[in-house]
Amino acid sequence: MNKSDDPHTWLNEHGDYLYRYAMSRLHNDELAQDMLQETLLAGWKGYARFAGQSSIRTWLVGILKHKIIDYIRHEIRGRNLTEAVESDPTSAFFNANGSWNESPSAWKENPEDLYSSEQFQKTLELCINNLPEKQQIVFRMRDIVGEDTPTVCKCCDITSTHLHVLLHRARLSLRKCLNTHWFEKGTHS
Amino acid sequence: MKQACHYASRLASDSLDRPLSLWERLRLKLHLSMCSNCQNCDNNLKLMRQINELMRNNHYGEVRLSDQQQNQLHKALDKHSASVN
Repeated sequence: MNKSDDPHTWLNEHGDYLYRYAMSRLHNDELAQDMLQETLLAGWKGYARFAGQSSIRTWLVGILKHKIIDYIRHEIRGRNLTEAVESDPTSAFFNANGSWNESPSAWKENPEDLYSSEQFQKTLELCINNLPEKQQIVFRMRDIVGEDTPTVCKCCDITSTHLHVLLHRARLSLRKCLNTHWFEKGTHS
Repeated sequence: MKQACHYASRLASDSLDRPLSLWERLRLKLHLSMCSNCQNCDNNLKLMRQINELMRNNHYGEVRLSDQQQNQLHKALDKHSASVN
């Protein structure tokens, strides 16, 4: 075994980079470490298939990316099985004429200040965890992990129209949740 | 226009995932110009998107594996390599 196909070397040379990649998508250090370990092992087992057309790092990131998507798809599924059967939950935000029941307020805070706030991150995570399973999976893949829409559709085996419906539901619920637990609360900062 | 805000919120969300058609863009623009509620909603959704992008791209810039994590990972690799070889 030469140096470049040794997982210990990969860990030393790319470990921090891969860990950051996992952390920025999972926001959880234990989970990120697990994913990194699985990636290094999978990379090592599958090294014969590495064609050398990309760098080792790019190849390992590709493996990690799939591990993260798989985790989101399988782990969240089954956590909360209660999804309203085909009724449209976004209707609850509007009256019969399609106007807002409760007026959305302007959020005055700056995204630059919010993203680095541990407290805001906790609130966001709480709100995401309250979403029904399918909405949570597609929202995490699309807006937290940052996958493009064809990838999310393929992973979840849904049409793009269905994806747009689910994301609309997820985002309106999150907007409301963040409004209640953060923007209107005013006790933080 | 019936269901106007409900539909506008859908277009505002969709615009984060796909290019809207010319007709959809005009409809959304026109509605937002008359409706401060939907303007707020549209801005809220955009802000949520921005925050998530910032978190993903900037927040973990300085994060590194701790020595303890490095050790645990090296040990795990040894353990598995023993069982594979």
